[in-house]
Formats: sequence, structure tokens, C-alpha cells
Amino acid sequence: MSAERRSHPVYVAPIPRFWWVRTAPFRRFVIRELTSVFVGLFSVVLLLFLLALSRGEQAYRGFLDWLDQPGIVVLQVITLAAVLYHTATSIQLASQIQEVRLGGRTVPRHLLMAAMTGGLIVASAVVAYLTIEL
Amino acid sequence: MAHAEGPPHPVRSEPFYWLLFTAGGGVSAFLFPAHIVILGIAWAAGWLPDDALSYERVLDLVQNPLTKIYLFVLIVLPLFHAAHRIRYGIRHELRVEENKHIVASACYGAAYVGTAFTLWVLLRI
Repeated sequence: MSAERRSHPVYVAPIPRFWWVRTAPFRRFVIRELTSVFVGLFSVVLLLFLLALSRGEQAYRGFLDWLDQPGIVVLQVITLAAVLYHTATSIQLASQIQEVRLGGRTVPRHLLMAAMTGGLIVASAVVAYLTIEL
Repeated sequence: MAHAEGPPHPVRSEPFYWLLFTAGGGVSAFLFPAHIVILGIAWAAGWLPDDALSYERVLDLVQNPLTKIYLFVLIVLPLFHAAHRIRYGIRHELRVEENKHIVASACYGAAYVGTAFTLWVLLRI
């Protein structure tokens, strides 16, 4: 809906470039959006992991040594914090949007959040078991 | 004013990318934390059993077709999640309205390249 298609002029209030620094909810919203950069970054880390694996034992060991550097560990800790923020806000959001009815009653929101948190714990346990124990 | 707004049902790719974005958001929200802790932190900290990430063990695990399908989904959907958010982050948070088609193509294009690369790597393992 570009302005030039309108038959009459419309006043559009100017928006400052950094409109989202003014209030805390806006800042939290932008932090949530920013977590996607770390999501993409970790996808790339997983991809590099597989690339090293496909190139043989020496390349794979080299990748594990790369992971062992303090700077990379710090980056992974920041990535974890960002992704957990993404997880927590997604659970809040989904429980707000999706109404679940069981036996003619609406499931309370805190139960939905608890169920999704349980899902996160179960998924994490399965991933840990399959990668470490099996 | 339908005549002024273009065709009533324009062909739009938005729902397709929004679906990938949401799916990638879910996959990364529920599965990424464990993978980040294991690969990114626990390995370097020495919390894992000695042979947990050994070449033979991991190769054996990844060569299983089910693992490959899982890893494909685990890597590719979050790439599209990031691409979609970065696209609109550039437009709305950084307020760059110019060249929005180029920005969109670059973001989704990077995700498509990542998808092809993931597929190629998985088929070589």
C-alpha cells in the first residue's frame, strides 16, 4: 500500500530510526527479534560440525579443538542465553495465542506454559541421551 | 478502492516463508538449548564422557538415515527462521525501507544456499 497509489494525501507521522529504544517493552521485543541472529549462527555451527565430520577424522578433531577455545565458549554461552530468551518468550507467546480446550473446558494458561516447559525438558533429555549415552 | 490496490489476490510468498519461520522458531526453541549446551559448552568444559564426541561414535550416529533427516530439519528450519526475522529487522528495527526486495532475496537466498549446503554435506557423510 504505497502512498502514491492513494487519491488524496495522507499524513504519516515520522518515526524515529531507533523508535524501539524508548520503552522497555519495545526493547524486549527487539531483543527477542535479535535472538534470531544467534539461532542462525548456531545453525551455521552445526553445519560446520557436519562439514568437518564429512572431511575425515583430522578435520573433525580440528573442529573440536576450535570449539575448545575460550572465545568460542563465550560466544556459545551468549548464544545459549539468547536462545533461552527466544524459548521463554515463545512459550509465553504460544500460551497466549493458542486456546486449548479439553473436555469442554479451556486449559488455563499457566498449565499450557508448564506443559511446554515440560516438553522442552523432555526434548532436551532425549537429545542428551541420544548424543551422549547411546 | 480495490481498483487502486492492484489485483484482488496477488501471488504472495509471505505465507510460505512465515510457515518456515514459525517451524524454525519452534525447532530452535525446543531443540537448540540442549545442542548448544552439549556441543558448545559441555565439550569444552570437559563435562562429557571421554568418547562421547569421538569421531567413530559420531560418524556412526550421523550415518544413520534417521539422524540425517533430524539434522537436516534441525539446521535448515532455523536458517529460515533467522532469515525471515533478519529481513524484517532490517526493515522495521533498522528502518531501511529502500531495496526491500534485494534485502528479502539476500536473506532467503542465504537460507536456500545453507539448505543446499546442508543437503550436500549430509549426503557425503
